[in-house]
Amino acid sequence: MDYLFSYDNWEWLWTGNNFKFLLEGLAVNLQIALIAIVFSLIFGLMLALMRISNSRWASVPAGLWVDVWRNLPLIFIILYLALAVPGSWRDAYATAIPDWLPDALQDELVLGALLGLVLYNSAVLCEIMRSGIQSLDRGQREAAASLGLTYFQQMRFVVLPQGLRRMVPSTVSQLITLNKDTTLISIIAIQEVVGAGSTLASVNFGVEVRPAYLQVFIVIGLLFIAVNLSLSRLSRRLEIRERERTGTTVKPVEGLEDQVALQTDVLPPR
Amino acid sequence: MTEGLDLLTENFRDFASGLWVTLRIVGVAFVVAMVVGTIVAAFRVAPSKALQRIGGIYVETFRNIPLLVLLLILFIGVRRAGLPISAWVAGPLGLGLYTAAYIAEALRSGVFAVGKGQIEAALSLGLTYPRTMRRIVIPQAFRTVIPVLGSLIIAMVKNSAIVGASLLALPDLLKQARVIQAETAQTEAFLWAAVGYLLITVTVTVAFRQLETRYAVRR
Repeated sequence: MDYLFSYDNWEWLWTGNNFKFLLEGLAVNLQIALIAIVFSLIFGLMLALMRISNSRWASVPAGLWVDVWRNLPLIFIILYLALAVPGSWRDAYATAIPDWLPDALQDELVLGALLGLVLYNSAVLCEIMRSGIQSLDRGQREAAASLGLTYFQQMRFVVLPQGLRRMVPSTVSQLITLNKDTTLISIIAIQEVVGAGSTLASVNFGVEVRPAYLQVFIVIGLLFIAVNLSLSRLSRRLEIRERERTGTTVKPVEGLEDQVALQTDVLPPR
Repeated sequence: MTEGLDLLTENFRDFASGLWVTLRIVGVAFVVAMVVGTIVAAFRVAPSKALQRIGGIYVETFRNIPLLVLLLILFIGVRRAGLPISAWVAGPLGLGLYTAAYIAEALRSGVFAVGKGQIEAALSLGLTYPRTMRRIVIPQAFRTVIPVLGSLIIAMVKNSAIVGASLLALPDLLKQARVIQAETAQTEAFLWAAVGYLLITVTVTVAFRQLETRYAVRR
């Protein structure tokens, strides 16, 4: 306790550029998370549409693909891709990435990390979206079909808006998990916030105030808690506003299969 | 392909010991998570506002901190602070405390799903509050959350790989695969580790489907 709260062990935080250095590391995580979120949502929706498709040629391969990727540890996928992504792809990535994008993305190692994050999270999001769509009453689709809407129109105007809205809470909690998981790329030596913290604590820059490991990691943890809490609060507020605007109340999803996909946010909070 | 098979047969002991270490990490972490998770869930539904708040802070903290950072705090941080904690303590403990937040949330929603009427009925029959919890609410809450528990165990299996891959470096399945890959320069080592992970997750899925059909409350 003395160690944890002693002034000497916290002095690094407001000395020099230490804190700024940490924040710059966090910015790398957030940028990578943002890009991975965009691609995971797009591919997740595509996979979900394939899985619910009437054609076996689409639904079976999509199901297998999703079941494999979402059942493997993300860090496993990232470490594998760090070895398996061919050098030519990385070179192509390094030349293709425009200069105006932030430095964090210029590192060629980022390609494997992004691929891993998207492969894993698109599979998980696919299952969330699929259970949202399938939890919708069949009648909705049938009514839309009997009104003469094409398959595309049924999806676009009837099924997806309702099915996906139901899944907003579990989608957001998965995206927060994705944000936390960006710290894993420190294991393949991409310089982000955990790497920055380790550098701070281990390297002596000739400054007399050297941060202590415990305190550095606690600060990093608090930064993540702050970011993720504000994200979930924001999404909840948006959701409530949206619900008031459209005048809809979201019915809790039923069925055990859906509860699994929904994980913990499944049952109505009182 | 035969080369890949040879890799498995020649290094079978290492793969098997990695699998065993993964299972041990998950086993210990599961016990920690269930115990702490149940206590936190009890705090969350307790009649006292202060206890609810403490439970809430626990859940929000451990759900929003990256597991890797939590493990580094528990292992590297605590060691630097002078307490020689071993990786075998820090790893499962960190994983358990992290998962406990999710289990607490699942149990809490399970408790609320039981319905106020039953609690009121039990109380009006003269049962004390702890007794109502133990006899009426918790048995039903556990049954409603069986499927969620299954997916949390699978998440724990996957998260256990972080324990092996980070500085804690316990020789779990992923770590063994990396060592074998480094020695033989064959990326098939990862393929066999993937088979190992899928074996565990598929087993858990099937086992929990059985449990569900037996015990789960259908509504």
